[in-house]
Amino acid sequence: MPENPVLVIGGGPAGLEAARGVADLGYHVKLVEKAERLGGMPILADYAALTPNMVNAEEAMGEMVQRIENDELIDIRTSTEVIRASGSAPALEIGLNGPGGEEDIQTGGVIVATGFQHFDPGKETQMYGYYEFDDVITLVDTERMLKAGKFVRPSTGEAPKQVCFIQCVGSRDRQIGNPWCSKVCCGIATKEAIEIRQLIPDCRVFIFYIDMRMYGFWEDEIYWKAQEKYKVNFIRGIVTEITKRGDQVVVKGEDTTMGRPVEVPMDVVILSIGMEPSEGTKKMGELFQLPSTHGFIESIGGALNTVVTSVPGIFVAGAAAGPADLEDSVSMGGAAAMKAAAFLRKANLRVA
Amino acid sequence: MSEHKYEKFTEKEEAVVEGIDISGIWNRMYEPRELTEYDLTYMDKVTETPGAESMGWCYQCAQCVGVCPVDHVGSYGPRKLFRKLQTGTNLFESDDLWLCTTCMNCLRVCPKEVDMMKIMPAVREQVVLEGTLPGELQEMLQNVSEYGNPMGESPRKRVRWTKDLEQPPRDLSKEDGSESVEVLWYVSDYYAYHGRGQDAARALTRVFNRLEVDFGILGTLEKCDGDSQRLVGETGLFEELAQHNDEQFQKYKHGTLVVTDPHAFNAFKNHYPKVTGNEYRVVHYTQYLSNRLKELKPLLVKPYEKKLTFHDPCYLGRHNGEYQAPRDLVVAIPGAEFMEMYRCREQSYCCGGGGGGMWLDGVSADHTRERLSENRVREAVEIGAEVLVVCCPYEVSRFEDAVKSTDNEGKLEVRDIAEILDYCMDGV
Repeated sequence: MPENPVLVIGGGPAGLEAARGVADLGYHVKLVEKAERLGGMPILADYAALTPNMVNAEEAMGEMVQRIENDELIDIRTSTEVIRASGSAPALEIGLNGPGGEEDIQTGGVIVATGFQHFDPGKETQMYGYYEFDDVITLVDTERMLKAGKFVRPSTGEAPKQVCFIQCVGSRDRQIGNPWCSKVCCGIATKEAIEIRQLIPDCRVFIFYIDMRMYGFWEDEIYWKAQEKYKVNFIRGIVTEITKRGDQVVVKGEDTTMGRPVEVPMDVVILSIGMEPSEGTKKMGELFQLPSTHGFIESIGGALNTVVTSVPGIFVAGAAAGPADLEDSVSMGGAAAMKAAAFLRKANLRVA
Repeated sequence: MSEHKYEKFTEKEEAVVEGIDISGIWNRMYEPRELTEYDLTYMDKVTETPGAESMGWCYQCAQCVGVCPVDHVGSYGPRKLFRKLQTGTNLFESDDLWLCTTCMNCLRVCPKEVDMMKIMPAVREQVVLEGTLPGELQEMLQNVSEYGNPMGESPRKRVRWTKDLEQPPRDLSKEDGSESVEVLWYVSDYYAYHGRGQDAARALTRVFNRLEVDFGILGTLEKCDGDSQRLVGETGLFEELAQHNDEQFQKYKHGTLVVTDPHAFNAFKNHYPKVTGNEYRVVHYTQYLSNRLKELKPLLVKPYEKKLTFHDPCYLGRHNGEYQAPRDLVVAIPGAEFMEMYRCREQSYCCGGGGGGMWLDGVSADHTRERLSENRVREAVEIGAEVLVVCCPYEVSRFEDAVKSTDNEGKLEVRDIAEILDYCMDGV
């Protein structure tokens, strides 16, 4: 009798890699994705180029999808949500709700890869006026424009002459309730800064930061490249608030290495919004009774086992477990696949 | 002034408007504290200047400021310069362009390899071409161009220091170049013309004679090496001098080119080859002598019973990695007690004379509370040294002035290594 399949919840980078890994190890997979198509946030939020290698997001995610699409061990269910769970692995009863209505299945183990959502700067105390000023946008809005090959001032439709990024919006903030660093925004902002400079060479680009967190090779591959080759200006000291003056928005803060207040007009201000647990991540956490940290699903193995949760047979991968870049997400997807397959194999050996 | 008060203001010492005296504080104008724009015009102009690209690479780690000798006496440093450029300062018209002594302590510690040794001459060159450089520097360059030395002395007087010597050096300029010489000694400007340099030049001559060195000098054919002129941006003059001196080096066949000036050492070793296509077997005189320490030591018979400390010249040490040779000589001095200053070897402080600093005291004075040489002299006194030993012709005059201005006369002497070696050989 064939074992129960592994249920992979979420079709983003972590889920896609987890599904592929489980299938490659010879086990069946049921890949469930709430959205109509696979690819996760890079696709759903219209990312232009992936950080750090600046490969086209559509193409890169397309390749990941393509690798599993025709795998007969993988049953892909898009527009489908997990609505019920009972029993315990390796014989979990799961209720799905999809285009064909509700369905009950049995699974041997679960990989939760439900990812994150972008911080909504409206939740901010409105110091940055995201919903007030047309020319205050987010990293995601910028991705969308870059994907269309055009970067403009939303208020005029014209190319901007002076643009700045404000880092750590919705991250590292006790008042907002998000005390974590979102890990990727420094890299993504800098990548977007490069892309803006490439598109509009006479546009000045500034990044206001508390400290630039450019891990590993991101340091020279993105940060140094942006500064040295693309002449992006990094200014230490975060912008405190934004006011409108004439037809420009003015950023106010302190230039800390000069020790002077800043009141500089900008054509476009880009808020480097961070990560929060997605609705799906919160729901799955509740459904499978998984402990959480800041709303992200907690892995109990610490640094040495990043995908194991406190519930046997249930694993977590990617940004569902906390802010993660693509490298981390995909690596965790692979690790979770291996753990889930091992879980099934051991369970079978015990039965036999 | 308290920190939250406006810091920068302009004030005319004397001003009378419509018969009303508004001198001093009455006409004080405060600069706004707010930065209202990041004008990158001059940052771009700098980083687009060939050689100065790395000015834009600074990520504000601030390690340079910790070791910048100028920041110890004023407010200046590569990190700060970067920010000033980013906030609109026109470096081409700013005194900041002339404060750097190219001592290389910043590059030694810079993780991003922001290279002031390339940035400074590249940017200064633009200013030199415009003719808007500081007057004191202009005068020096004119002197070098006209007379071949920065003092504006007659080239004929370049050998005057040899006059009273019992056994003067062989003057190759009087020969046709057919007879080779083992050591061609490039004497350099400050040895040849400055009173205290001449003392050292005569001392070194006697040391060479006692070592029975087969050596000669270029006499009136020798011209300024040009390294400091290169570093203040006079590339054309540097190349001219390089061609001229190279012609002499080629004409007067020699085994080794021995120089007294670390700046000349740097020029011949690292920069002449790019101009002339020739390589030079060049050594600093401390290297030459330390290589012959075995023969030298028995000649050092007269004790020199003093506490000595040694100042590393930036262009011998950090620029060219030689820290040991001069120390070998200093510790060989009989009867002397050698002690290091806190800032020594790689971490050595700068005398302020390099990179054109020798002729920029006027500009520096407006921005520093004391000269670098004064700061250094205080350190030598603080550790209890009685003699500050030097091996760069710029330094004797700089440090002796600093000894006076810091009220340390009688406490600290400044001596070229050659002078002490000569003293110890007395009677041999």
